[in-house]
Amino acid sequence: MTLKIPRSLIEQVFSDSEKAYPEESCGLLIAELPGDFGRPGRTLAVLEARAATNQFDASARGRRYQIDPRLFAKVESELSGSGRAIAGFYHSHPDVPAWPSPFDLEAAWPGYSYWIVSVRSGKACDSRSWVRSEDGRGFIEEAVVEEG
Amino acid sequence: MSVQVRLPAALRTFTGGQETVALEGRTVAEALDGLFARHPALRRQLLNESGKLRNFVNLYLNDDDTRDLKGLSTPVKDGDVILIVPAIAGGADATPPCAPSGDALGRMGGGADARDLTQEELLRYNRHIIMPEVGLAGQKKISNARVLCIGAGGLGSPLSLYLAAAGIGKLGLVDFDAVEASNLQRQILHSTAWVGRSKLESARERLKALNPNVDIELHEARLTAANALEILKDYDVIADGTDNFPTRYLVNDACVLLGKPNAYGSVFRFEGQASVFWAQRGPCYRCLYHEPPPPGLVPSCAEGGVLGVLPGVIGTIQAIETLKIILGAGRPLIGRLLLLDALAMEWRTVNLKKNPDCPICGKSPTIKSLIDYEAFCGVKQSPAAAPPEIAVEDLKAMLDRRESFVLLDVREPHEYELAAIAGSKLIPLGQLAARLGELDKSAKYVVHCKMGGRSAKAVKLLREKGFDATNVAGGIDAWSRRIDPTVPTY
Repeated sequence: MTLKIPRSLIEQVFSDSEKAYPEESCGLLIAELPGDFGRPGRTLAVLEARAATNQFDASARGRRYQIDPRLFAKVESELSGSGRAIAGFYHSHPDVPAWPSPFDLEAAWPGYSYWIVSVRSGKACDSRSWVRSEDGRGFIEEAVVEEG
Repeated sequence: MSVQVRLPAALRTFTGGQETVALEGRTVAEALDGLFARHPALRRQLLNESGKLRNFVNLYLNDDDTRDLKGLSTPVKDGDVILIVPAIAGGADATPPCAPSGDALGRMGGGADARDLTQEELLRYNRHIIMPEVGLAGQKKISNARVLCIGAGGLGSPLSLYLAAAGIGKLGLVDFDAVEASNLQRQILHSTAWVGRSKLESARERLKALNPNVDIELHEARLTAANALEILKDYDVIADGTDNFPTRYLVNDACVLLGKPNAYGSVFRFEGQASVFWAQRGPCYRCLYHEPPPPGLVPSCAEGGVLGVLPGVIGTIQAIETLKIILGAGRPLIGRLLLLDALAMEWRTVNLKKNPDCPICGKSPTIKSLIDYEAFCGVKQSPAAAPPEIAVEDLKAMLDRRESFVLLDVREPHEYELAAIAGSKLIPLGQLAARLGELDKSAKYVVHCKMGGRSAKAVKLLREKGFDATNVAGGIDAWSRRIDPTVPTY
């Protein structure tokens, strides 16, 4: 599986994640939904990354994120019928590797790309993207391909 | 009522890719029942076993969360849109995997003086950082830690090289020797070009080339009771790579008095030992060896030899233990002595107990400050007990004057083959007691070995048996250096 992201969006998300440090950043990834979405081997081309407010309790925002479902609902309604959809999410891991955590797995939905940015000492330095395995027991890493 | 249910991308695989499903029903629940009738697999995705909405699932009616309305009983009207909205959450672990399991040294990593890592360092230490047991927090601890290596020789070489590579913040080295040709077989810190020059300067050049981020502090001095506490006090971990008993006891006692951990290692011939002596948490070196062996009984590596690779194995174990102490990771070698027999290639671990009667770390210690370790180890004896000895210059003068005496060499035959002083008689120390009959009581004996240790023991034995015997201080080693350079040193 592959997640294609334009360089400008990578820079935007890295910059948002650095601003959020030491809290976690989070946001929506919007893409043209391919016919094989949710199946192994699919490729997603991200068209837009939309920052969301981390709604988690302030005391735990350094290690938790939650995207406002209202924002999700609003964007889904906006995109309805366009062929585009929310196809994944990004969030940051401050001072922790860009590996999904058990909590990420617990909350993971099938098919979506979960793109994690590791921010160390305020600097975004590594990112990896993950898709929940079909049996829901783990994550499969997908290639992050920088475009343009 | 005719309503539409709109699915997020994640659930469209269950509807064959359909984004919206048109359904009939009077409430949200009825509409969902219709959905599940058409796409049964969706039920399990949205409801739990008791028919309640799963965590992470939100249902929106047009723009409102149904939880704010009447939940699943919320009535619907024609043209309404029910939106299934996944709750998107996650985050790093509650216990970040990078946080090591407890900080052994308290000060490191979290202190106000903790230094952050540069981009170059993040890359350099990547293979550390990606391990949960180390992580960024652990690498910061390493990069803010201060470690003192006593000795820049066989053990000090792998120790300091690996610790520098690991990015120890401040690496101190204590040594006062020059690099000798016979060091190069094992002291991989030094290269051939440095023979005859300062070991510490050689070490600094090599370690700085390996990792310029490490602050190298050189203590070019013999470690003594007078300077040990001052030198050791500013370090977090001491790694003892010394090759002699007085310094080993000195380092142990100083560590006990300062409360510092000592990553200990020693090598001899084909055998090695390693442990962590940390009196606050376990036994110290004196708990293991209450007193040093009689002088001359346990030869040093200079006298007995050592397989060059062996300090490489033991020194790296000391480096590992040092890093574990800094990280607070794993189980340090406290209360355990690791023994390696390289000929059999067998490792053994023996458990060490803290000795309640230990003179320095026991319940009522008798040693409360540093003592005279040369005297304690019998290396420097009191004038009355010390056997008479002469310098190699005196021996040369006696030979030149053709004085009548027997020059007795108490080394081993293979050493004798390597280097010998012309006209000497060889009786290895171990055979001396049994071969006294070969000796003439009326003769005068001048005894030497390699460095003067074994011959001192021989002189003591001979004098006890009524012989006129004198020791040669510094042995054939001093002879080669000061009198006859054609006699090889080894």
